[in-house]
Amino acid sequence: MTDVAARPVAEQNGPNRVLRIARRTREANIFLVTALAFVVGLAFGAVLIILTTPELLRSWGSFFSHPRGTIALNFNTVFGAYEQLVVGAIADPRAVWTAIAHPSKDNWAVALGPISATLTYATPLTLAGLGLAVGFRTSLFDIGGQGQLIGGAIAATYIGFSVHAPGVVQIPLEILAGVIGGLLVASIAGILKASTGTHEVITTMMMNYIMLFFLTFLLLHAPFQLPGESEGLSKSIVPSGQLPRLLGWLSGTLQVNLGFIIAVAAVFGVSWFLNRSTTGFEFQMVGANPEAARTAGVNSKRVVVMALCIAGALVGLAGMVQVAGIDHSLTNGYGGTIGFDAITVALLGRSKPWGVFLAALLFGGLQAGGHHMQIVTPTNIDYSLALVIEAVIVFCVATPALVVALFKLKDVGEAGRAVTTGAWAS
Amino acid sequence: MKLELRGITKRFGTLVANHDVNLIVEPGEIHCLLGENGAGKSTLMNVLFGMLTPDEGQVLIDDEPVVIRDPKDAVSLRIGMVHQHFMLVPVFSVAENVVLGFEPVRPWPVLDRRKAAEEIGEVSAKYGLDVDPDAIVENLPIGMQQRVEILKALDRDAEVLILDEPTAVLTPQETEALFVIMRSLTAQGKSIVFITHKLKEVLAVADRITVMRLGEVVGSTTPSEADEDSLASLMVGRAVNLVVDKAEAAPGDVVLEVHNLFVEDDRGLTAVQDLNLEVRKGEILAIAGVQGNGQTELVEALTGLRPTVAGTITLDGNDIHGSTVRQMLDAGVGHIPEDRQRHGLVLSMSIEDNLVLDMQRRPEFSRRGSRNLKAIRENGARRLDEFDIRAQNSQVAVGTLSGGNQQKVVVARELSRPLKALICSQPTRGLDVGSIEYVHRQIVADRDSGSAVIIVSSELDEVVALGDRIAVMFEGRIVGVVPPTTSREQLGLMMAGSSEIGSDPVGAVS
Repeated sequence: MTDVAARPVAEQNGPNRVLRIARRTREANIFLVTALAFVVGLAFGAVLIILTTPELLRSWGSFFSHPRGTIALNFNTVFGAYEQLVVGAIADPRAVWTAIAHPSKDNWAVALGPISATLTYATPLTLAGLGLAVGFRTSLFDIGGQGQLIGGAIAATYIGFSVHAPGVVQIPLEILAGVIGGLLVASIAGILKASTGTHEVITTMMMNYIMLFFLTFLLLHAPFQLPGESEGLSKSIVPSGQLPRLLGWLSGTLQVNLGFIIAVAAVFGVSWFLNRSTTGFEFQMVGANPEAARTAGVNSKRVVVMALCIAGALVGLAGMVQVAGIDHSLTNGYGGTIGFDAITVALLGRSKPWGVFLAALLFGGLQAGGHHMQIVTPTNIDYSLALVIEAVIVFCVATPALVVALFKLKDVGEAGRAVTTGAWAS
Repeated sequence: MKLELRGITKRFGTLVANHDVNLIVEPGEIHCLLGENGAGKSTLMNVLFGMLTPDEGQVLIDDEPVVIRDPKDAVSLRIGMVHQHFMLVPVFSVAENVVLGFEPVRPWPVLDRRKAAEEIGEVSAKYGLDVDPDAIVENLPIGMQQRVEILKALDRDAEVLILDEPTAVLTPQETEALFVIMRSLTAQGKSIVFITHKLKEVLAVADRITVMRLGEVVGSTTPSEADEDSLASLMVGRAVNLVVDKAEAAPGDVVLEVHNLFVEDDRGLTAVQDLNLEVRKGEILAIAGVQGNGQTELVEALTGLRPTVAGTITLDGNDIHGSTVRQMLDAGVGHIPEDRQRHGLVLSMSIEDNLVLDMQRRPEFSRRGSRNLKAIRENGARRLDEFDIRAQNSQVAVGTLSGGNQQKVVVARELSRPLKALICSQPTRGLDVGSIEYVHRQIVADRDSGSAVIIVSSELDEVVALGDRIAVMFEGRIVGVVPPTTSREQLGLMMAGSSEIGSDPVGAVS
């Protein structure tokens, strides 16, 4: 056999520390790329603000006569807008100070308003993002978030207005319904993929349309149609079935509700599932190398069906918390873009549960802050600016090579790898 | 034409693939470039053929420095390359393939097929290639297809031909024929760079031998001055045991039995035809044969990966044909797959995860649906040590390991579960000599511990060194079972389909 002396030094204990540090630096680079993506996003937003505000555009005419004035005006406007973006997403320090100095329900309600709005927006995004992330980790590019969300919302709403039970019974029933609703929608794509090989991108996308128009149909017929309503509005979930608001005792305007707790619990759950469970390990085997998984005795068809079912269940749950927590009844095109935003949330979070959670918080914050910015800034900078910034950030995070080139970063290791789901390779 | 590489250095990041390499190829010589996988041979040739740009050094032709920016430059400098994987259009004729990209046209844009065919016929005859210009490439055997590649290079007036591991896909007879062609080419003034890691071939055909190790030239010699042992130790940097130390087999009862097995390939054609074989406890049955004669399909059927059409597979008296892969694995079938990266490992996962890849649900690694990370980590550390896997620790991704260490991970995993039968497919393909030695020793150890072992290999050396009995497979059938003492010539003939000399009753059941 080989003599011990011939073994590489690295095998002995010493250099392990160096290796651990090296690995940490590489991880830090993922954060670096993400941070720089923010810089790019905000810079892009600044240019947009200047280009779309006539006052600022005009100021550049006098740039050569009053350079400092021009720059100060532009900087202050942009900075002011971003300040309001942050205030609207997290908190206004002055309001917090007032609440501490003069504690009262009203003052606290004002101070906590922004964070409540952020968490409210983040709740369905977290759940739906988690669902899609489970698919992505299994190399399934599930883009049927919209349809699965509607499926969950329809099922939950049906239980919500037809069962009249106390909350402790009613809400779990709605949760179960939401999970099953989303699961059923996604399972169609899973079964088709496993049995006939149909690509899930096609089937999940088509299910979006099917569910969208199925909803429209339902809203115009019993039992969903609100009697006397022809504009597409469903009956409401009975009060006992509405998710309790966490800060409702402070003020009726704070919408953050039990759904947020459910979302955080789901983050823990999915985190355990992907990182610790045997089944989750098999999912990732199939995701990373389906042929090796098959050779190792994993039934990859079953895994495909299971993964899409779990994804659908989580997205359906997102539909449930949105309807039972916020809207209480269904409308045409319910859920809006949540199902699609969840794709970006999952990609931005690199399909890792806690990453998805952070990405959802970011998106929630940008939405809450964007609305606030539009109302508060003197020139009424449009809410859509927040969406542009959001999109640019995702664009940069998904294309690390771009950020690396822009900032001339060196050796970025894992951070340099493009964000993909691997689904297109098959 | 005299070709010289002077001081070539090529780095990939921190890895130095070639360091200050000097090489002179004289006109009319066969120059062998010998080295293990990863020694830098292919990098060097890719530099020469313009596919990589060297960081330092230059290429000289007839003592004049030249710049080769891409393969087109190389071709115009009369350098030709035959790649390991052929670059031919299967549905085109030989002539069409050869002129592709350099088509003779009679008034544009009409391809002059007859002129092309005539030209190629002439070249073919001149060097004794014996290729029919009108044959369709997909109907030709592999050896002929390789000649088409050589023709392509010659048709572009190549003076220096680079052959990248040309014998890897050939039968011994085809290899001999290739050597004859190589000699006829050099007799007419062409020079050849012959890349290989097979020592016997080097000694048979080379005029000059350059040995590379870890990106550097470690020696230059001629066949008359060298022998297999000296070349092998030069290649790996230490003395190597080329024969496998193994005790006489002590075969017990029949463990694995295959009866009248029929298996279809992906296209629905019969790949395994009416095949019978039996393997006893404590013996190694080596299955020899040229690639593509149904070995892959046989192994897939034996491991549950491919459905059988007819016939039975019995393990310890139980018919297991038609079982799922999971059931096969649980029944005690170990599998070292042909392509470790595609089938054996998940490269992005850690070593310790790969070491439990087909055992993830065993009670020792999974408790109530939750992975037992502690046991998996301990198992990883133990196997790393036990199987001499060279890695910093068991948490690094398997994809970062060398081929030899990756294979050790697969071997370690399969041998760490209780096995009744072990099926190995090309267990040492692409490995360096040191790792080959190691994997062979582990397989023999598994035999001695009482497994029935099947080894499928297209390397005659391996088949002869490891097999207690050798079954030769041709076109989906076993043409004969012979003892390992059988001559290579006879094995070669059997691999080409001749069966009458094959069946040796002594070898059939020992």
